[in-house]
Amino acid sequence: MAFTSMQFVMFLVLAVALYYITPKRYRWVTLLVVNYVFYYFTGIKYFIYLFATTISTYIATIKLGNMIEQNKVAFQAAKAELDRDAKKAWKANFTKRKRRVLIPTLLFNFGILAVLKYSAFVSENLNLLLEKLSAPIELPVFHFLLPLGISFYTFQTMGYLIDVYREKVTPERNIGRLALFISFFPTIVQGPIGRFSALSTQLFVGNDFSYQKAKFGVQLMLWGAFKKLVIADRAGVLVDTVFASYDTYGGTYIAVAALVYCIQLYGDFSGGIDIATGAAQLFGIDLEKNFERPYLATSIPDFWRRWHITLGAWFRDYVFYPLSLSKFFTKVGKKGRQVFGNYIGKLLPVLIPQFIIFFLIGIWHGAEWKYIAFGFYNGTLIVLGILFEQPLQNLVQKLKINTACFSWHLFQILRTLVLVTLGKIITRAPSFGVSVAMMHSMVVQWDTDVLFHGGLLQLGLDVQDLCVLVFACLVLLCVSILQECGIQVRETLAKQNLYFRWVIYLSAVFSLILFGVYGLNYNAADFIYRGF
Amino acid sequence: METLLKILAEIRPDVDFEENKELVDSGELDSFDIVTLVGELCEEYDIEIGADDIVPENFNSAEAIMALVTRLQED
Repeated sequence: MAFTSMQFVMFLVLAVALYYITPKRYRWVTLLVVNYVFYYFTGIKYFIYLFATTISTYIATIKLGNMIEQNKVAFQAAKAELDRDAKKAWKANFTKRKRRVLIPTLLFNFGILAVLKYSAFVSENLNLLLEKLSAPIELPVFHFLLPLGISFYTFQTMGYLIDVYREKVTPERNIGRLALFISFFPTIVQGPIGRFSALSTQLFVGNDFSYQKAKFGVQLMLWGAFKKLVIADRAGVLVDTVFASYDTYGGTYIAVAALVYCIQLYGDFSGGIDIATGAAQLFGIDLEKNFERPYLATSIPDFWRRWHITLGAWFRDYVFYPLSLSKFFTKVGKKGRQVFGNYIGKLLPVLIPQFIIFFLIGIWHGAEWKYIAFGFYNGTLIVLGILFEQPLQNLVQKLKINTACFSWHLFQILRTLVLVTLGKIITRAPSFGVSVAMMHSMVVQWDTDVLFHGGLLQLGLDVQDLCVLVFACLVLLCVSILQECGIQVRETLAKQNLYFRWVIYLSAVFSLILFGVYGLNYNAADFIYRGF
Repeated sequence: METLLKILAEIRPDVDFEENKELVDSGELDSFDIVTLVGELCEEYDIEIGADDIVPENFNSAEAIMALVTRLQED
């Protein structure tokens, strides 16, 4: 059931009505039933994976919770007789015991994800290797269909498991409530990846209807649908045309298509997130922010702080910090200082885990070499950025460049956009090799003239569609700049006169009806990140 | 506290650690700064800071960092 379908709108209206007519204390049960009905539409066979994650996490977190409680009591009783070393040893021993519960559960759940998502890729590549080695073995290749949202709900649930292990949250003892947290339907399709500490109370408490929240929710959903249907799906026509026949288009067309793909991806993903966030607000639930105007970022690290924020935060909290602060990387840092000097040595425990994180972010997107290349591309940019930060600052000072002015800020934004666009070519092209060929073409076949002689009209969109796309992008840019300046658009709009507000609302609705990309061949279900 | 402020100033000379009380929430300190800072703190104060301790509340101000250090020294 696609977020932009009429079926979803009807489902949502019914779900909201059911939620608020249910007595307050049972509202979470209604929400759980609604979630499972939503998930049922994707196929009943996928429930097995959702249940496996729910049940395994429930058992593990309850076990951890009991261990933590017992340990607290035992430690309090023994504390007076323990010196500092003995306390340390106690803590280390307890951590080891907790890990015996944590690690098998992580392996089980990430194992399901790995088998479903990566087994075909691994088997195919191993077969290629075996063929090259002339080995008379061929591994079977299983192609599984990915259950809806498995990458998202697995990460969200494993985040909760680690939080219980770290004693940051107390485990939920009602399996129904845990199931609700895992399966909350607005977030299960493509995130945001929520934290238990932020979502649990909102999900379980039984929220009262808030007109203000519901109004903002509907507005956000309309805005999300605008980004998806008017911008992303229209931009997608141009992108598909060029990327499908990349060898017949020159470098200028490829550059235009790559830039338009950036717009498409942002419209598609952030539009979907806006719809999810707005839908959650109808139930009185605030989701975490997943985007903060990423294309206004001034550097690659800044971009990753603004793009898919909840995934980045997940990797930061659950992978980057544990890796960087592990004994192994502490040793690497010390050894590094001896070998490479203080500056590089100190950076090693940051740089190597950073590279690992981007490799993981790459393969999170899919089981293909191009995603691994995408991860390395970003990892390399970030590492180079850190290594050359000081020399570049020195150069800027030597050249007496004023960095406190708008033009420098704009330069930084454009520079980041170019680097991000190159990265997007890697993920959008059919293979890494093709993306390299496309980038090569952008360098050697550059001819800006084609754009001014009707060239843009050969990319699948007519004049009217191009005008709508450009105008819609300008609207998006204006809103983004307002937000970047700290202006809260919905709140500001709410303070305007009734007539003005309704002119805006009706314009939004009519622009969706008139300019949304629909039609026989159009399938609104195809949210790009849904596939990840 | 003076030693801590000195360490902080070495890592990020551009930040006013005495005034800023939202170092993490405002994005002033990023994950790289925190990992570098943790390395320095562990060495200077002979403590172990794990990933579990990396929460904004522990790093939002120089006072919060000092409180973390004191707590870990007492543990």
